[in-house]
Amino acid sequence: MNAPNDLKWAAKFPDLGTGPIPVEPCISPEFYEEERKKVFLKSWLKVGRIEEIAKPGDYKVKKLAFAKTSVILMRGKDGQISGFHNTCSHRGNKVIVETGEETFGRNKAAVVTCRFHGWVYDARGKIVQVPEENKFHADFDKDKNGLTPVHTDVWEGFIFVNLDPSEKVVPLAEFLGGMGTHLAGFPYEELGQCFSYHTYLDCNWKVAHDAFAEAYHVATIHAGSFPNVFSSGLQNVELFGPHRTTAICLSLNAEPTPVAKIANSLATGSLVAKRSTSMLPPTVNPDRREDFSFELSVLFPNLLLHISEGIWFTHQFWPVAHNKTLWEGKYYVRPAKTNSQRWALEHAQCLQRNAWLEDTATMEDTQTALESGAKTVMHLQDDEVLIRHGYHALEAYMHAE
Amino acid sequence: MTDLSLPKSFESLEPLVANWALPTQNGRQQRRIGSSRGELRAFYDAMLPRLEDILAYVDKFPLGELPPDAERLFCLALSLAEVAPHIELYRGDPKVPYSFDEARFVADHGAVAA
Repeated sequence: MNAPNDLKWAAKFPDLGTGPIPVEPCISPEFYEEERKKVFLKSWLKVGRIEEIAKPGDYKVKKLAFAKTSVILMRGKDGQISGFHNTCSHRGNKVIVETGEETFGRNKAAVVTCRFHGWVYDARGKIVQVPEENKFHADFDKDKNGLTPVHTDVWEGFIFVNLDPSEKVVPLAEFLGGMGTHLAGFPYEELGQCFSYHTYLDCNWKVAHDAFAEAYHVATIHAGSFPNVFSSGLQNVELFGPHRTTAICLSLNAEPTPVAKIANSLATGSLVAKRSTSMLPPTVNPDRREDFSFELSVLFPNLLLHISEGIWFTHQFWPVAHNKTLWEGKYYVRPAKTNSQRWALEHAQCLQRNAWLEDTATMEDTQTALESGAKTVMHLQDDEVLIRHGYHALEAYMHAE
Repeated sequence: MTDLSLPKSFESLEPLVANWALPTQNGRQQRRIGSSRGELRAFYDAMLPRLEDILAYVDKFPLGELPPDAERLFCLALSLAEVAPHIELYRGDPKVPYSFDEARFVADHGAVAA
């Protein structure tokens, strides 16, 4: 086998080491409990896009199971987006009744009203109205009992929250650091047609994350949906604090199949079709390699953001328990202008859905097999450096004060 | 009686309308999962030679403004988009080989005609 640092990424990132990685963080309920507190309750987490609540008075409620809460994200009349726990100040009922993982609504006056007793809050979380207010006692101060705020900020149209109850947290831009700069300026909003999937996976969130954070699996797992597509190795791996990024380069060796060929000629919707001009930020695929397929970036802890020519997509892994994860996959393309383009996007999207069905197929098996205790470590190759960095970044958070 | 007619010159595809001209992606996906290998192959073989004509025909109308007969024709083409990978890539298997349980994959957009 290769000597230490013989390989490209090991040489570039010697601090990451080359040894095997313990599997305990993927199977231990105790580790999960610590991780929940030290990572997920302390980090900026993506919870939406600004287009989802485009107009003043639009709101979104997002369940966050790991924190046993849900947050209301609301756009005020001034256009500002604020976030709050969905918990009424009166007797703690949910202010907005939820209908699923995500609940959307709109109120023209930009207020939300608790169904229980009709308490009304504005987009800044302040109490606007308490029915029968005159019957409350002197020690209830309306002005001091607004909704409990959650740190909320926006980067490139992505809405993030940080559930840390401290008054001050590291600002989002500072948290994202170089990762935020690297991925800025991409036309996320313009490529606004979203195809969105979710499922609950019986595995640790990192097992799901790791399965998507390398291209080593393409030739095997995607032999069905992407035959004759091979990873030509990672390029331009960069680490930015706890975040990480790489170019995924794929070789396309085969002529497209008949229906795929017609679809590819009509619209950019597929990752395995050749494309020409670039909309990518200058630091992404800086050499404009021919075989560049997409940039795979991990925004610590749980968001994979991928950008490509005419396409972007995200995977997000929400921990529910040490062995249960809510996975969300969202695929974004330029909206069709014609019926035939609309058809081509349907084809691309079906193929992408199928590829994700192939990806998710391994995860529960991995978890079950790891829980057998047969193996205490996993072995990573050089092109699995993003996974290696993930465990490093996690460890740093777990040991932080 | 339900209108199963298609625009002029596409009449030969009318026998496919009842089973395959389905308005939502979830519906088309379920039809594909519930079909036999033979049914998928027969549908693909009937549709492929007409696909380019269909796409040219639906482009005579603005996006999303298809009259009912053209809409049925378009839904047939959308079913082909769903079925094609199974013929072209998965050797005719109605399921995605070696995949996660499709029934557990929730398409948040899938109930609407997206």
